[in-house]
Amino acid sequence: MAGRRALSLAAMSRLSWRYLWRNYRRTSIMLLAIGVGVWAMIFMTALMRGMVDQMIADGIDALPGLVQVHHPAFRDDPSIENSIPPPGPQLLAALGSPPVEAWTGRVKVPAMISSERNTRGVTLLGVDPAGEIALGFDPASVVEGRFLEGPRDPGLVVGRKLLERLETDLGKRVVIMSQDPDNNVADRGFRIVGVFEAKLSGHEERQAYAGLATVQELLGMGDQISEIAVTGGDYRDVTALHARVREPAGPQLEVLPWTELDRYLGLMLGVMDGFVLVWVIVIFLALSFGLANTLMMAVFERVREIGLMQALGMNPSAILYQVLLESLMLLILGLLLGNLLAIASIQPIRNGIDLSVVAEGFEMMGVSSVLYPALKMQDLVLANVVVIILGILTSLLPAWRASQYRPVEAIARN
Amino acid sequence: MPNILCNDLCKTYRQGDAVIKALDHVTLEIEPGDFICLSGPSGSGKTTLLNMIGGLDELDRGEISIDGQRVDQLSKGPLADLRLHHIGFVFQAYNLIPVLSARENVEFVMQVQGVPARERRRKSMAILKEVGLDGLEDRRPAQLSGGQQQRVAVARAIVSQPKLVLADEPTANLDSVSATHLMELFRELNQNHGVTFLISTHDERVMRYARRLIRMQDGKVISDEIQKSV
Amino acid sequence: MTLTLRMAWRNIWRHSRRTWLTATAMIFSNVLLVFMIALQFGSYDMMIDNTLKLFSGHLQVQAEGYQDNPKLRSSIADVRSLAAELRTALPEARVAPRAAGFALVSSEDRTFGIEVVGVEPASEPGVSTIPGMVTAGRYLEEADSAAIVIGAAMARNLKVGTGDELTLLGSGRDGSFAAGIVTVVGTFDSGSSDMDRALAEVPLPWFQDTFAMRGHGNSIAVAVDQLGAVADARAAAATVINDRDDLVVLDWNALHPGLRQAIQADLSSAWFMYGVLIILVGFSVLNTQLMSVLERTREFGVITALGVRPRRLASLVMQETALMALVGMAVGLFLGWLVTLYFHVHGFSYPGMEELAERFNLPGEMYPSITFGTMILGPGVVFLFCLLAAVYPALRLFRLHPVDAMRTV
Repeated sequence: MAGRRALSLAAMSRLSWRYLWRNYRRTSIMLLAIGVGVWAMIFMTALMRGMVDQMIADGIDALPGLVQVHHPAFRDDPSIENSIPPPGPQLLAALGSPPVEAWTGRVKVPAMISSERNTRGVTLLGVDPAGEIALGFDPASVVEGRFLEGPRDPGLVVGRKLLERLETDLGKRVVIMSQDPDNNVADRGFRIVGVFEAKLSGHEERQAYAGLATVQELLGMGDQISEIAVTGGDYRDVTALHARVREPAGPQLEVLPWTELDRYLGLMLGVMDGFVLVWVIVIFLALSFGLANTLMMAVFERVREIGLMQALGMNPSAILYQVLLESLMLLILGLLLGNLLAIASIQPIRNGIDLSVVAEGFEMMGVSSVLYPALKMQDLVLANVVVIILGILTSLLPAWRASQYRPVEAIARN
Repeated sequence: MPNILCNDLCKTYRQGDAVIKALDHVTLEIEPGDFICLSGPSGSGKTTLLNMIGGLDELDRGEISIDGQRVDQLSKGPLADLRLHHIGFVFQAYNLIPVLSARENVEFVMQVQGVPARERRRKSMAILKEVGLDGLEDRRPAQLSGGQQQRVAVARAIVSQPKLVLADEPTANLDSVSATHLMELFRELNQNHGVTFLISTHDERVMRYARRLIRMQDGKVISDEIQKSV
Repeated sequence: MTLTLRMAWRNIWRHSRRTWLTATAMIFSNVLLVFMIALQFGSYDMMIDNTLKLFSGHLQVQAEGYQDNPKLRSSIADVRSLAAELRTALPEARVAPRAAGFALVSSEDRTFGIEVVGVEPASEPGVSTIPGMVTAGRYLEEADSAAIVIGAAMARNLKVGTGDELTLLGSGRDGSFAAGIVTVVGTFDSGSSDMDRALAEVPLPWFQDTFAMRGHGNSIAVAVDQLGAVADARAAAATVINDRDDLVVLDWNALHPGLRQAIQADLSSAWFMYGVLIILVGFSVLNTQLMSVLERTREFGVITALGVRPRRLASLVMQETALMALVGMAVGLFLGWLVTLYFHVHGFSYPGMEELAERFNLPGEMYPSITFGTMILGPGVVFLFCLLAAVYPALRLFRLHPVDAMRTV
């Protein structure tokens, strides 16, 4: 029985390591394959994640906010009739405390805008510029002129596309027409004080910003507003924020998180998580055949030696462990290579890849054309864990077969 | 009919730190229709000499010509053609293509030569019969004995009627009955078809068949004598 | 079957397990590629088709510049007779003249800015699916004059139904004030919320009268039976408008630049993924064939000694690879075809897809397109890459030194 003692881990590792490099070509090719596979898992995931993150971030900025409060009928019929009073003391208190970080009340009504040459339909937004900026409006996106300076600002800020459609210019006057609550047409001249560019051209063509108080006055709606936009915390988890606002808002108001406000965006988040898992597993499966093959070859070519080792008193389980250890080393080296490749290839493009060649196509998907890869720890861990665990499972069969050779048979081969 | 001239052949191999003189100023002339045995201990340079004549290896110095053609100056392609059409090789063992049957092994060389299928089949059947393998044509090498395998190898080597057959220890893995059969076959081919044989061996049974016996040691020819008929 | 091919076939089964493992890698990728590519192209076709059929048609004749800046003034003179000429030139296609402008629409309660399109009620159903999507009332008829069909969401927002009257206000082609009262005869539900909220159709003659068009229109939509016919139709249409320098023919690419780009964007990420899969299969083949070449060194040495040139051995290795890849391709194609066929019949869907698909004018279930092209594309590329992967092992045979080779056991 003394001869059946297991080898020390160090001795076994040394053995495995040498066997691994006995056929350096085969091992190198397999390493390269694992490396490329793992690289692809991580790289592709980071790109897709980046795309979806960007899409969601842009989408949330455009909404704006993580949670919005409306009149229940407003979303189907965004008219002035379905406006709401400004937040009462209870809601105000809720909006002033965490997890709420910022909120703003806005008027949002369909309107017509006419220049000397053209007339277009737009969404007129009456906003408090400070609140709007807190909710994600980027003042730097105003490329000409200035953004509004306060709720009473008499000026108008329009998108560049709209400006082109209207064939007018910064500083020129336009007329805005909309309905007041009594169904009378209210109109007022505005001077265009700013022109913004948006990531999504739809906004550039269809939105016009004016001061909140100015719009309320124009439409004679008192201090009524169309919606309250609220932000705070991580977009991935809005339950707390949603609950915080919903309670004091009361049942007569509709309070919805962004995942409900834009179902497409909300779904993308879940679809993306699913995609990452499927992608990692598909790549692994494509790798697994090569891995199994490599190990099979490594085992078959040393049948005699395995027999010899058994004859010398190495027990079958030690042989199993030795082959598994060999596979583990291969996997770890491959993972190392893959992770390094991934990080090395993501690093230089972390400031974004410009995909403007297909910009309009990305826009159709709701993505802007500069793609920022997002390397997430969870994805990195997922890829590595999947490769190690499934990799060991794949190597079980060759390892088990190796341990099953009978010494005499094995030596008699060849 | 080949007239083979070897002049001042030298070849050294390096094995680790050791330098082995495989051929050390060997000069030799082989006449058409000769039946020569090369004998000598392992490492005496027999195999190297065969390889050199067959154009399988490159000389350090010296020259080899077959019918006035400088073998040592040919490039790989023409060398391959030379072997394909004029030289037959027989090695000590494992020299058949394992996935091909006996007949297919014989046909293989002819196919490379571009012999039409029908003729290939006729010739291969005839030659296998001649070497005493009729009925075993469709067996794979693994299903044949060592002696039978060597007969297939001989059949393959002579099927396209080469002028020269180079055999490297052809009987090394054979029992004495098979060895005798093989040598009888060689002698018959030599006498009736005029094929020149150059056989390396350290098998006494083989040397008995030789018309001319060349002994080698440490890469040198130490004796070269014509034997009286057996 | 040549002897070499027979040899190749037997050689690959000398290590049947290894061959199967390598072939299975190919099969796995092939099944995936066959199905994914079929699904992709199926959805692209559907996306293009649904988008074009909804309203725009495959081609449009427009005044130059209208596409970038759609103004009432950029117009086509005598649009109905030009449409008739196009019908003669394109007997297979369906042709519908239109005029379109922006107008303020008012019901008793509400006022909105909308897009009003003047259409020929008889021609419109040939180029647009909107007439077929009327869910309340009816679509426009030849005899209609001051009638309008509006989107369902617009009807809700205007708080009107069929039979109610709407006032349209806008400016005519000559800049004059344009106004008219129309009766709602029907509402449509296209599934595209933008259209349902902001599109209305009226008879073309009424539009032309009201907006002072004097026989002018803004576009002529042309629909053909399949995407493949677009190029020919475009050429034919271009001949018709040859003598009218102010007009252009735009195909769907120009009408919906986002559509092709969305497809290209999707394709490029898909090709990245497929490329990775294929490269991994290539590595698998490279490893297998390299091992198979190295372990046969002695055998190859003997064959070389027989006078066989390395080129022939290399071709043997390539044939072995090709056979193995053919097995992978045949089985992969067959299984892939089965999977694709199943979804071709039953439709493919995953949770949440319905909402996602709507964005691209797609139904909630997708039907992969089974054509020879979509089936063979993936496996064909895999096949080529497998051959490519075997080049290195095959090239090694040119470096084979017969004497050394035979010394190797």
